[in-house]
Amino acid sequence: MSTIRYREALRQAMIEEMEKDDRVFLMGEEVGYYQGAYKVSEGMLERFGPQRVIDAPIAEGGFAGIGVGAAMVGLRPIIEFMTWNFSAVAFDQILSNASKIRQMSGAQFTVPIVFRAPNGSAAQVGAQHSHAMEHFYAHMPGLKIIAPAMPADAKGLLKTAIRDDNPVLCFESETLYSVKGEVSDDPDHTVPMGVANVVREGKSATVIAWSRIVHVALEAAKTLEKEGIDVEVVDLRSLRPLDIDTVLASVAKTHRAVIAGEGWPYGGVGAEVSDRIQRLAFDELDAPIERVQTMDVPMPYNAKLEQLVIPQAAGIAEAVKRSLYLQ
Amino acid sequence: MAKLLEMPKLSPTMTEGQLTVWHKKEGDAVGVDDLLAEVETDKATMEFRSFDKGTLLKVLVPTGSLVLLGQPVAILGTPGEDISKLVPAGQGATGQGATAPTAPALKPPSGTGQASATQPQAVPAQAAPAAPREPREPAPAAPREPREPAPAAPREPRDGRVYASPYVRKIAREREIDLGVVSGSGPRGRIVARDLETVPASAPSSAIHALAPRADSDEVRPLSMMRKTIARRLTESKQTVPHFYLAIDVDAAPISRIREQINDDLAAGAPRNGAAEASPPKVSVNDLLIKACAIALGRVPECNASFTPEAILIHRRVDISVAVAIPDGLVTPVVRQADKKSIVTIAHEVRDLAARAKAKKLRPEEMTDGTFGISNLGMFGIDSFAAVINPPEGAILAVGKIREEPVVWEGTVVPGQRLALTLSCDHRVVDGAVGARFLAELRGLIERPTQMLVY
Repeated sequence: MSTIRYREALRQAMIEEMEKDDRVFLMGEEVGYYQGAYKVSEGMLERFGPQRVIDAPIAEGGFAGIGVGAAMVGLRPIIEFMTWNFSAVAFDQILSNASKIRQMSGAQFTVPIVFRAPNGSAAQVGAQHSHAMEHFYAHMPGLKIIAPAMPADAKGLLKTAIRDDNPVLCFESETLYSVKGEVSDDPDHTVPMGVANVVREGKSATVIAWSRIVHVALEAAKTLEKEGIDVEVVDLRSLRPLDIDTVLASVAKTHRAVIAGEGWPYGGVGAEVSDRIQRLAFDELDAPIERVQTMDVPMPYNAKLEQLVIPQAAGIAEAVKRSLYLQ
Repeated sequence: MAKLLEMPKLSPTMTEGQLTVWHKKEGDAVGVDDLLAEVETDKATMEFRSFDKGTLLKVLVPTGSLVLLGQPVAILGTPGEDISKLVPAGQGATGQGATAPTAPALKPPSGTGQASATQPQAVPAQAAPAAPREPREPAPAAPREPREPAPAAPREPRDGRVYASPYVRKIAREREIDLGVVSGSGPRGRIVARDLETVPASAPSSAIHALAPRADSDEVRPLSMMRKTIARRLTESKQTVPHFYLAIDVDAAPISRIREQINDDLAAGAPRNGAAEASPPKVSVNDLLIKACAIALGRVPECNASFTPEAILIHRRVDISVAVAIPDGLVTPVVRQADKKSIVTIAHEVRDLAARAKAKKLRPEEMTDGTFGISNLGMFGIDSFAAVINPPEGAILAVGKIREEPVVWEGTVVPGQRLALTLSCDHRVVDGAVGARFLAELRGLIERPTQMLVY
């Protein structure tokens, strides 16, 4: 084990898998000579050369499509978008090609591709660059969606994603890249998709979160602990496949569920988790399921307003208290 | 300025009340202390009087509604006033002076994802790691808007329906709890898990509660407030108070004789100054028994006691509650300081309490804080029975009818009168020997009743 940053964990995963399997390559804007827009791919061009670390033009539809085609003919591309916001330009490649080819070809083709990028709010990047895009993609059958919050999961899940024979989308975060954590040095260590993680045990209420908001939920749990409220935090880690059993087991213990995540409240992952809890654990609920999400507006540029719009620890704490009928 | 009239607390333990009748209607002038409505609480039918004067602009809850404490019931103001802002959501402003379209003054509780997600949230700048981009000014805390407190949500009449969380319903099924007798602390009176913490494990009557009514063969009678109170209090008593029973059979001839003599003498001695004086006072065997118990409790104060988790309270006052059957249940008004009152005074008080009990006009405080109970089913022809203790009382005496039967007197069988008395004791307070001592004192007083006249 060594303590490294989230971005280093992602880099280790790519390097280890590229060394293990020469079909794996990385392509995206600024991944090579610039060392990565967020320095995730730092040193990789020097290590693997321009044939396997490919700087793409600013044309997401083009290089996403190249990636899908390469995957269909036997390579295992990792496509990095500068952020998931820009994947909107490549949306048709993911929706109509990556997620469909295997089914439409009767499995004559598989699409072993990984798309990865930072997601969600950063800090004053404006309405067009602050989207939580996982909700759009989690909607689609044929895709797998991972959203790790911890460096160890970032490495373990990305390795699993690269080894998977189906398209996997990895949702990272600008503000997570510098988070440090203990990460396994074992190149054979992976984290399976579809397994949530109870990152904090408690018995008063369950907070279900993913990606950056797991850390916000843990912060809320810490403040609530001072008031004698003992919160359990479930980190979903993968959004599709979704490990609902871990969520249900926690709700059966605490009898209240608060779902926290970035993204607008209408529909989305939070609504899906909420629906499954009410259907599969109806008899366990002592209070309505609470959701703490990004407010239902385009992200404001103003720093104060931006903080008001995205989920905060205080908002999660309030929702937990509502679920305990304390407010 | 129009104002909302809210359901006041009409008894110390009231959490909700059934508004049984409105005495004012929309458009009526209302003066200070005018009777607005009558409310059946957990204890009695109470008068709801106005603290203000004005005109009743709108009635918000119809007759028969179950209303939670603090829930708006009406709007008082001056005719022609715009009351649209006061009318809770979902109720059209059809009252006098309603000119503007309904604007809900109270918001529903935020429970849905969208509502809560759009609530402003406090925003201490989160301890997010620095982004690799240009360093930016850390986002400072934004002003926090006050959140509408959840209890301000409009509470709707419950219409006899039990609101409970799914988890509570699951527990209730497993532990066989009748949710009809549990009061809920959640929004709109919803029963939530914490409300079950004090409910004892399994109600023995669960098989009956579990019965679903069959339209063809069952008449469904909704639970009145009194019935709910009876169910809750007696279930609690039988399940938490360890009862035991001591029975004696006493010679009732002396008490019957002295009662006759007292009534004859009262009739003979009553002033005869015409119609102004009603019929002379009369005393009953029960009045004499109240007095006898009061004296006996003075002699055995351990039977005039209550259990609390910290200590046993031996009461210095002797306040005897008397079970009174009324058409749809029973109540237990209290004769205060019965040890200090004459038999005629006791008789007069019991008559008054019973009459007002039947008219549902007893005040809650007249039915609480007894120290000992008496229940008499003699008038219904019952020979003997055992009563359920009315907590926090430590014991209750069950009185049967006076039976004419042969008794052995000085070696011969002669006609006699017998009376069965059964004392139910809370064993946490009253032990068998103590209860027996009390009954011995009581027997002595009943069988030699002139003592009652001189103590």
